[in-house]
Amino acid sequence: MPQRAAGLWVGATLIMVAAMIGALVMVGNARSVRDRIVRRDPDLILADTSLAPTAIAIGREGYVKHCSSCHGQGKGDRSRGIPDLTDGAFLYGTGQVGEIEQIVLHGIRAHDSRGWQLASMPAYAHPRPYAAEPIPPMSPGQIRDVVQLLLRKHGAETDPAAADRGARLYAGSGGCYDCHGQDGAGDNAIGAPSLVGDAWLYGGSPETLTRTLAYGRAGVSPAFDRFLTPLEARAIAVYVAALSQHPPGFRP
Amino acid sequence: MNTPLPAASADSWSLARPGARRSLILCALGAVLGLAVAGLGLFSARGTRTSGVPAEDIAVVNQVPILLSDYVLQLRTLYDVSLSQATPGQKRAALDSMIREELYVQRGIELGMQSDTVEVRAALVGAVEEQTAADATMAQPGDEDLRHYYDRHRGDFASEGKMTLADYVLPAGSSPAAVGTARAALQSGGAPTGARRTGAMADGEEFYFAARIHLGDRLFAAAQVLNAGQVSPPVVMPDGIHLLVMQTNVQPLPAPYGDVRDKVLAAYVTAQTAILAAANERFLRKRADIQIAKGY
Repeated sequence: MPQRAAGLWVGATLIMVAAMIGALVMVGNARSVRDRIVRRDPDLILADTSLAPTAIAIGREGYVKHCSSCHGQGKGDRSRGIPDLTDGAFLYGTGQVGEIEQIVLHGIRAHDSRGWQLASMPAYAHPRPYAAEPIPPMSPGQIRDVVQLLLRKHGAETDPAAADRGARLYAGSGGCYDCHGQDGAGDNAIGAPSLVGDAWLYGGSPETLTRTLAYGRAGVSPAFDRFLTPLEARAIAVYVAALSQHPPGFRP
Repeated sequence: MNTPLPAASADSWSLARPGARRSLILCALGAVLGLAVAGLGLFSARGTRTSGVPAEDIAVVNQVPILLSDYVLQLRTLYDVSLSQATPGQKRAALDSMIREELYVQRGIELGMQSDTVEVRAALVGAVEEQTAADATMAQPGDEDLRHYYDRHRGDFASEGKMTLADYVLPAGSSPAAVGTARAALQSGGAPTGARRTGAMADGEEFYFAARIHLGDRLFAAAQVLNAGQVSPPVVMPDGIHLLVMQTNVQPLPAPYGDVRDKVLAAYVTAQTAILAAANERFLRKRADIQIAKGY
């Protein structure tokens, strides 16, 4: 009987030790995956099936906690200038995880010197439309002309002569070409949207375009670098990239 | 009274055999495992950074980490490449530049640059102010807060007024009768005798700010109160007597909340930033030991 009790003792001890070792191995493995997520080239994580599921799971949690209050499920809200994260159109950068991570960490116009804040949409119904550069204001008629030009780019102009005048303003004193390019294709290096695509951040109606030209735009995304761990920031970026890239098996 | 261990147990100890030594060994085993777990947590936890380079860093310089995410950004900035696209030479050069920067920053602090160099001091002041603004940006106010702010500052979100008018001027010293005749002609839609139209506002509709610039403050004040079709009373100016004929006058209107939500948010954040900055300064002054010389 004492021998049986001793055997039970030994067995229980061995099981306990094995469980602890197993737990340590599991913790170590989980740490290894998490470490690899932050060590890996961010742009390659989505394609790495050993990392992507964990990164997306962590990212989903962080997204819900920190991003969804504005971005919702990622579909955007034109009335608030919140971009659609699922349509593959990116105002800043090209949608790579590394680029998104920088936005998560340092924001857009978030008073973070490492964030995006190179340019904003001038307010042409203002004596000084743009703080950073001397651009002359526009009259209400000139704004209407530029709106007609923008509508022309989408086949919706109603006043060709006004659109012609708008084209001269666009390429001349209005200075629009400086950010949006001569062809209106925009510049994702400074966050200047394409004026020829279908993706509108605030909407493409004449009223909305008039408002945008008259009173400007300067959307903001907060900088989370002091509130997220590097892993959380990376994982949220992976999740946001997945929203538009739809990798196999991904569910928002 | 303890029973002495059997003599054989000293020579052929067995884990299965009850005894004080077995208990001690099991205790020791537990202690070692506990220490291992604690050590793993202690030496690899974020913040301690005592076991090599943490996963999220590319290097640690005098215990100051250089973040991998910053390194990735550096590669993108210097060479427009991702981490995996960068050549070994590019990686090395980017890392060297970041280590050099960190060393120089640390050396700058050692030398007291923050006390001596105007640019460093200005940069630090600016950085702290920006940090306050960043905190305000993080606040992410809800729609209710923004609507409340909008309701209290509705006038700040009004549209810019617009007007179209014609500005006529009669020679200085014109008789009241001549001015009256010209005004009557303008009121009836005719051409005023003895008056000429000035170039101000000749380009058509203007925003109020532009009209103010083109007309000057006095004439703008006279114009602003006119409705479409009305003619202003004579306004005596150094260059003559002006009569303003208003064609369209769109007064500034408070914009609907939905149209200006982004502006409301920006204004709200600006206001919050000012509040936070003031609180921050009060806190800094409160905790500081400031002694001011007599007479100052």
